Amino acid sequence: MKKVFAVTLGVLTAFGGFVDIGDLVANALVGSRFGMSLAWVVVVGVVGICLFAEMSGRIAAVSGRPVFDLVRERLGPRTGLVNLVASFFINVLTLAAEIGGAALALELATGVNYLLWVPGVALVAWLVMWRVKFTTMERVFGLAGLALIVFAVALWQLGPDWAELGRQLTNPPPDEGAPTYWYYAIALLGGAMTPYEVFFFSSGGVEEHWSRRDLAVERANVLVGFPLGGFLSLAIAGCAATVFLPVQAQVDTLSQMLLPAGLGAGQIGLVLVIFGVFAATFGATLETALSSGYTISQYFGWQWGKFVRPRQAARFHAVVLAGVIVATALILTTIDPIKVTEYSLVFSAAALPLTYLPVLMIANDPDYMGQKVNGRFSNALGTVYMVLLVVVAAAAIPLMIATKAGQ
Amino acid sequence: MRRIPVCLSLTLLLSGCVSPAWDDHDYALKAAASAEAAASGVEMARLAVRDGDRLMSPYVKTLLTEVSEDLSGIAGQFGGVQPPSRASDEVREELLELLSQAEDDVDGLLIELRRAGIARPAQAAARLEEIAGRLRATGERLR
Repeated sequence: MKKVFAVTLGVLTAFGGFVDIGDLVANALVGSRFGMSLAWVVVVGVVGICLFAEMSGRIAAVSGRPVFDLVRERLGPRTGLVNLVASFFINVLTLAAEIGGAALALELATGVNYLLWVPGVALVAWLVMWRVKFTTMERVFGLAGLALIVFAVALWQLGPDWAELGRQLTNPPPDEGAPTYWYYAIALLGGAMTPYEVFFFSSGGVEEHWSRRDLAVERANVLVGFPLGGFLSLAIAGCAATVFLPVQAQVDTLSQMLLPAGLGAGQIGLVLVIFGVFAATFGATLETALSSGYTISQYFGWQWGKFVRPRQAARFHAVVLAGVIVATALILTTIDPIKVTEYSLVFSAAALPLTYLPVLMIANDPDYMGQKVNGRFSNALGTVYMVLLVVVAAAAIPLMIATKAGQ
Repeated sequence: MRRIPVCLSLTLLLSGCVSPAWDDHDYALKAAASAEAAASGVEMARLAVRDGDRLMSPYVKTLLTEVSEDLSGIAGQFGGVQPPSRASDEVREELLELLSQAEDDVDGLLIELRRAGIARPAQAAARLEEIAGRLRATGERLR
């Protein structure tokens, strides 16, 4: 019974914690412009993140070390440094977007300008990372993120033409050009497979002292929780496709992205969805900030993590604090958090092979994994994904320039 | 080597400026894009106003404020593009007039909302629908 409870709680946490500002923005944008014609990318992204998160969780459980800890050792300091610089840059950009997202959710609830909320969000996030236990922190915000289920309820309540949504699956709007379509496909994939997720997941495994006995729970979290999170992403896109596509309205702001939830599920639905967005973005703020500390500390071999007292991991906490300060300063320049999110998605997509190739290599290395190396199926699928991610990485920046960032 | 930072700074500075219209066709395309972006914002406002009683007041206020700022930005950006001929002058006047109407309407609704709430949401939504339709038609005609 205790095990069933642990699995259920883990699955719900993974489900509620799946959607962050990147998923929200990408799915709402894509739904309003392309209907459901890019839903296939969400499926590809969810399969990809399940595949690589399972590998990184297995690496943490079997070797007792997170992925980035092994990157330098396995790939050498130079390649590891390239990986570190790219990951840290994207992490801080994503962190800025998440802090902005949480502040925007507070603005929607109170009417007070989001810039006034930004320092408060950053301060509370830092205090939570400093004081709250890892497991409590992860579960509270993961479970609170479940409020985003309102999008699925709202979609049902909006009474969409299901046949039309089905037709859109294979028919992109004719007035959108192919480069723009592919640009958004890449952004959507970047949102579903954001690099920090893997660093956080594997480091979290070490924080929670996973061992081989926890592998079943870890797999259930990933293989059930993440696809349910993908279902939420599709519901967000479905809402946008139902409300905005027929009137040719394109979403630019968080308030507009949440409008279908209010129209479908009323005031209570809107309150819940704003709460869900706050929980999801605040939770992701913690994850991205911690990931910044994890990657740098693990590369340089410093003591890291919340499983030791802050005094024992002073450099780790200093990096986390520095990351939060830089990201907060970026958002306080009044740069649009939604634009920051859009750019972070594309840069994430460009860096995907740097994140996932080491995972695939280490998960195949018997020196680290013993008998728990990848099976044939995981390897075959992993190789197909690596080819796909290399193509995506090569196309991301040129497409961003060619389409003027999807205009 | 010293010229590189200067060239880079100049490029960044110029990239922040509004791009000029090379001819009437280019100007019309810019006008169409502005009209379509404005129509999108007005539609957002319409949806929020139509069902405003089902939404929270701070939320509707934030949404309408963003739409108003967007419309102001679109008008400012399009107004900054110099029309290359007299024919383009007409396009400019027509679109700026429409944008101004849209902005005035949304601002008016914001004032109502901050006082005692929007008195006649159905009528306000109908008016916004009409403006959005005209903006879309203008955009389609100029493409």
